[in-house]
Amino acid sequence: MAGLELLSDQGFRIDGRRPHELRRIQCRMGVFGQAEGSAYVEQGNTKVLAAVYGPHEIRGSRGKMQPDKVLINCQYSMATFSTGERKRRPRGDRKSQEMTKHLQQTFEAAVLTHLYPRSQIDIFVEVLQSDGGNYCASVNAATLAIIDAGIPMKDYVCACSASYIEDNPVVDINYLEESSGSAELIMAMLPKSEQIVLLQMNSRLHEDNLSKVMDMATQGCKDVHSILDTAVREHLTSSIALQDSSVT
Amino acid sequence: MLKSKIFLKKTKKGSILKVVREHYLRDDIYCGSEACDECPQKDEVLELRPQNPSSEIFPDPHYIIPDTNVVLHQLDILEDKCMKNAIILQTVLDEVRHRSAPAYKRIKEAISNPDKHFLSFVNEFHKDTYVERQPRETANDRNDRAIRTAAKWFQTHLFNTGVKVILLTNDADNKVKASQDGVTAFTVAEYVGSLKDNPELLDRLAHSKPSNAFDEGVQLPEHVSIAEVQKGLKSGRYLQGSFQASRDNCLEAVVFIQDKEDVTVFLQGNASLNRAVHEDVVAVEMLPEKDWSYPSSLVIEDVEGETEMDKEARKEKLKQPTGKVVAIIKRKWRQYCGMLLPVIIKTATRHLFVPSERRIPKIRIETRQAHILQGQRVIVAIDSWPKNSRYPLGHFVRKLGTIGDKETENEVLLLEHDIPHVPFSTAVLNCLPKLPWLITEEDVKKRTDLRHLHICSVDPPGCTDIDDALHYKPLDNGNVEVGVHIADVTHFIRPGTAIDEEARKRGTTVYLIDKRIDMVPELLSSNLCSLRSNVDRFAFTVIWEMTKEAEIISTRFMKSIINSKASLTYAEAQMKIDDSKQQDELAQSLRGLNTLAKILKQGRTDKGSLSLASPEVRFHIDSETADPIDVVSKELMETNSMVEEFMLLANVSVAKKIYEEFPDCAVLRRHPSPPPSNFKPVINVAEARGFDFCVDSSKDLANSLASAQLTENPYFNTMLRILATRCMMQALYFCSGMLPYAEFHHYGLAAPIYTHFTSPIRRYPDVLVHRLLAVAIQADASFPELLDKKKTQALCNHLNYRHKMAQYAGRASVALHTLLFFKNKVLIEDGYVMFVRKNALTVLIPKYGLEGIVKLAEYQNIMKFDDENTVQTIGDVIIRVFDAVKVEVSVDQSNIQHQHIKFKLVSPQLPEIEEGPPLKKQKKRK
Amino acid sequence: MAVDVRLACARVDRKELPFTNDQAHLVTPGDVITTDTGFMRGHGTYMEDEKLHASVSGTVERVNKLICVKPLKTRYNGEVGDVVVARVIEVGQRRWKVDTNSRLDSVLMLSSVNLPGGELRRRSEEDERMMRDYLQEGDLISAEVQSVFSDGSLSLHTRSLKYGKLGQGILLKVSPSLVKRRKTHFHNLPCGASIILGNNGYVWIAPILNEDTENTGGFIQNLEPVAAVDREAMARLRNCVLALAEHKMMLFDTSVLYAYEESTKYTVKDLLKPEIMDEVVELTRQRLEAEG
Repeated sequence: MAGLELLSDQGFRIDGRRPHELRRIQCRMGVFGQAEGSAYVEQGNTKVLAAVYGPHEIRGSRGKMQPDKVLINCQYSMATFSTGERKRRPRGDRKSQEMTKHLQQTFEAAVLTHLYPRSQIDIFVEVLQSDGGNYCASVNAATLAIIDAGIPMKDYVCACSASYIEDNPVVDINYLEESSGSAELIMAMLPKSEQIVLLQMNSRLHEDNLSKVMDMATQGCKDVHSILDTAVREHLTSSIALQDSSVT
Repeated sequence: MLKSKIFLKKTKKGSILKVVREHYLRDDIYCGSEACDECPQKDEVLELRPQNPSSEIFPDPHYIIPDTNVVLHQLDILEDKCMKNAIILQTVLDEVRHRSAPAYKRIKEAISNPDKHFLSFVNEFHKDTYVERQPRETANDRNDRAIRTAAKWFQTHLFNTGVKVILLTNDADNKVKASQDGVTAFTVAEYVGSLKDNPELLDRLAHSKPSNAFDEGVQLPEHVSIAEVQKGLKSGRYLQGSFQASRDNCLEAVVFIQDKEDVTVFLQGNASLNRAVHEDVVAVEMLPEKDWSYPSSLVIEDVEGETEMDKEARKEKLKQPTGKVVAIIKRKWRQYCGMLLPVIIKTATRHLFVPSERRIPKIRIETRQAHILQGQRVIVAIDSWPKNSRYPLGHFVRKLGTIGDKETENEVLLLEHDIPHVPFSTAVLNCLPKLPWLITEEDVKKRTDLRHLHICSVDPPGCTDIDDALHYKPLDNGNVEVGVHIADVTHFIRPGTAIDEEARKRGTTVYLIDKRIDMVPELLSSNLCSLRSNVDRFAFTVIWEMTKEAEIISTRFMKSIINSKASLTYAEAQMKIDDSKQQDELAQSLRGLNTLAKILKQGRTDKGSLSLASPEVRFHIDSETADPIDVVSKELMETNSMVEEFMLLANVSVAKKIYEEFPDCAVLRRHPSPPPSNFKPVINVAEARGFDFCVDSSKDLANSLASAQLTENPYFNTMLRILATRCMMQALYFCSGMLPYAEFHHYGLAAPIYTHFTSPIRRYPDVLVHRLLAVAIQADASFPELLDKKKTQALCNHLNYRHKMAQYAGRASVALHTLLFFKNKVLIEDGYVMFVRKNALTVLIPKYGLEGIVKLAEYQNIMKFDDENTVQTIGDVIIRVFDAVKVEVSVDQSNIQHQHIKFKLVSPQLPEIEEGPPLKKQKKRK
Repeated sequence: MAVDVRLACARVDRKELPFTNDQAHLVTPGDVITTDTGFMRGHGTYMEDEKLHASVSGTVERVNKLICVKPLKTRYNGEVGDVVVARVIEVGQRRWKVDTNSRLDSVLMLSSVNLPGGELRRRSEEDERMMRDYLQEGDLISAEVQSVFSDGSLSLHTRSLKYGKLGQGILLKVSPSLVKRRKTHFHNLPCGASIILGNNGYVWIAPILNEDTENTGGFIQNLEPVAAVDREAMARLRNCVLALAEHKMMLFDTSVLYAYEESTKYTVKDLLKPEIMDEVVELTRQRLEAEG
């Protein structure tokens, strides 16, 4: 039987998107009362919840304390019901650990860490449903949560994946496309300055195609940024409206 | 611009699996009709005023929307020039893709042809035409509804333009529902029948429904449903495999079970074959062991002094695992060449078609042009095989030409072997460099200039595509420099161009006796790439520094410019070497090369490289009639082996280099070791003549072959080698990333690693190897496909297939010409017995390299066959393998489609056979 | 027992309020606030390529040459003189570590504490050993910010009798930005409860204390059960403060008192229902506005 046709001749992907189109992104900020900042992001069927605590005094081993900057502590976990087959361990497996590390690196680059020496920021990310692009959705959610927490950052961190399918670069790949075995490029960047914070590639891609895929991912990140920015501004406006009305 | 809708599907697959899928519905998909003003579209596909052939039942201008089954089964109609302006829905395309890959390819070609004005409409993603599957609705019903919805949408959408749409469906139910929805729907037969200007189309109509008229009282078992098959396969009740019909008996077949090597299931009888056609993928069910059977070719004869029980026991031994086909998993139907069976009634429209491939059953077709088609080769496609029909039903596609005509037969040969042979398209020809072709300064800068070297090429006479040349130069330090120069085809064939696509598709140049089907256009193959003498040519060069003992000290690879000093034939080169009077540089070079080659060959043989043999012949073709006038076996000279030796060396050196550089994606060639059981016939024969025969390794085999010499029969050794060759496995191209290193081995050449580098003009794998090597030495840039392991392997599989087909076609061409040669001749020739079978002998005539079968069925009553030693005794005559015989050769023209060469044993003379009854008496007397 | 259950989808989205302030200069991280180099860089901003960028999302505030971006919510940024409610988390060498909802733990030096039995006596070795007897982990205190260290952590003192250990009561945590700076943050509300609105967003609600206990600095604990009437008043007050915080209303004595008064027509537990919260807050707001 013929396998899946990831990109049809008419230029449509398996879910009806064109190669350059993102999935639908929906987000909410301030979903938790307890955490300093929190956000919920849906990227297509990938759903992620992020919570940020801090900055606060270092918890746990004090040895981790950095005298000149804040310690960013991340935890990435996937709900047991998030994947097709139930996961045994929500966190702590190799993949989650790797993801945790990546998140940490990403945000160390974006948060103005020197402002809070000797303290710690916790970022908790939980994937509720996974349909490809977990890292990207996690980064986007965590960014919103950090903004919600009022922690200073250089810029948004926007992440987007891209792949190269049937000689075409495609952006924001879903699980089906991800598992097709073609190369997956994951990029997290500061969209305004176009500085790349994290770039990861799974499986091989020919050098000639790399720039095409990178361009696609960059464009994807910028699109993500405009969506997130709109959401943040909306959140801000409505909250300020509340505050204003109470002050008067 | 994006409307989205998310739905969740849940499937159960042993454990519960959550499936989340998204499906975005869009509003930016346009109708693609030139007539429409509403859609802000460009590149309309459908014409403003569709000039479809005037239909009597629907004279208005219209577009047609075929449903899935129409596309699947009536492609020959849709592909016709007069069918234009069709809308192929995505629903239909997807279904076609799942159900038949060839049909999908064909419809895609039709869509991409701008003259056809076929629009592929993505209805599944359109917000107005998407339909969701309703509870308890089958997938098929849903798709039918989707097609109707889309048709309805087009009708409404195009209402103001005056262009109508017609739904073509052969499903009565669907048609009724469409009419209820207000969509005009016809069956294909109705529609095509109403096209009065194109009556010939009716012939091409495939028979979708079994008509009772074909009822011959045959009732074949129903096929099991797909779901049932899946269950059966999982539980092990059914086995999946590819169906291989028997060449000799249309009621027998074997099924090669998937994923299990050497496991075959034998099938016998119409009910067991159950409508499977050669090469289909089928599901089989094993019969209980007591019902097992054996091929009828292994006829059981009465043997003297054998009791009934012995006979039963012997029968038992012959029995093979037997099964029956319960379902066809995938049809591999293609178009078949053949001829119509003559009929008595001139006006009859139903005819039987006999394919030239014996493994394919006869096909019933309907045509009104039978009188024209008599005596013609025609192409026919199968449509269906209803269970009450003895033969599959098909339809006429096109005719090729008169039977027996050489052109027609060549065409048949090419078609049957799936060899692309249409002339090169303009797109391909546009890729060729403009003449006069000149070497630019830049080229010279990039390449090593080797024009000063005394390079020459040695090839068979009449060769125009010279792809290799050699040089030899003694060095001051006592060593020698040897160079192999290969035509630099990749300079002209750049990846991704039309010419590259075409060459890849063709895979290899195919040599027929009177025709060559080039892989690359002639300008390249016979001119710009061909390393002709006294012109500057680009080459890819391998240069070794060797000691006089042929030990390699260093190897260099480079792109170069050469100027060959001479293109010699093997004979000319041989003369130069042998003629001690010639002392020019060229002659000396050749002698040097020859000496080295002998050392190399010895070294190779010591390692266990095999020198095998297969009878090769050359035809002398009459220059006017192009008919063969004489046949001679090809002669092998020392120079042949000289050139071969250096080519092998170059191939091995290149293989090492590219594997080192690209461990994951090097294109290599391997030759698996054959399982020892394959050699049984050779061992039997050799041992019968008193030779010890060991086949444990290729070295043992080589030694055994070398020692097996019979003074009284000098041809014995050659025959043994021919026989051994047939025991070998096929050598294969493969991608190095897909196999462990241990399997890279080339058995025949006893080389751990091997590839093809030396004939890029006529083999595509060499082109790939050239590209890899060019990247490895930084002479060229790499590109994505080159380094994609999976794509490379897929390409290798394709090239293996092409290579095999080209070989088969070459052999078929030889057979065809042999036939033409012997036509109207009766000759008595010397031959040797190659095989002794129960009821036949295989005889080889070395003079023509011709092999044929001497049937002994008529002697069956006085024959005695010794299975162990393969000795046949007929009366007083004992026939053993490799015995010299004389046979009478003639052409049997009794079957016009399958003319074949008939052999009759002349010497030793067989006893006259009397009629049956006296023989029996004779036996009793004994 | 009657249980009130409602679905998440029944939640009213309060974001749809018709108030939008177009004048406010909103920025998000990475936005360029100004390319003019004549300004000073304040909180929530950073310089890059000679441009002033925002590092948080919020409103731009300009004081003369100083540009700050004020985020919606943030941790507590202590200033000298602030009244805070804090919790002891660690007893150390001559100091307590206390949590004040700021970025780092604050310290309360032994020397900055009024010890029982005399305000100004010398701290002896004995006192050091007795530290855990005065304040132990988990105790709540009210205090004032004495100074801010260079790394941003706070030093507190309780050297006034109004500060000190807190006894029985309710602790609430709200966003620090919601607590209005006032002359006093200690209020004895007429409704029968006292409230401490800590600048750090911690709010303490306790029964009204009589004069003599107040002067002990809280070292003598009154562990007698609080009367049910007082408890109800405290609970009602808590829910009112919560409602106000939820609606981002500034917290100060008047707003809390008005909210309390408006809520009296409902039972205490009804105040947890969003629509009733809405109503109470709205009425409070109207009253505040009416007063100007």
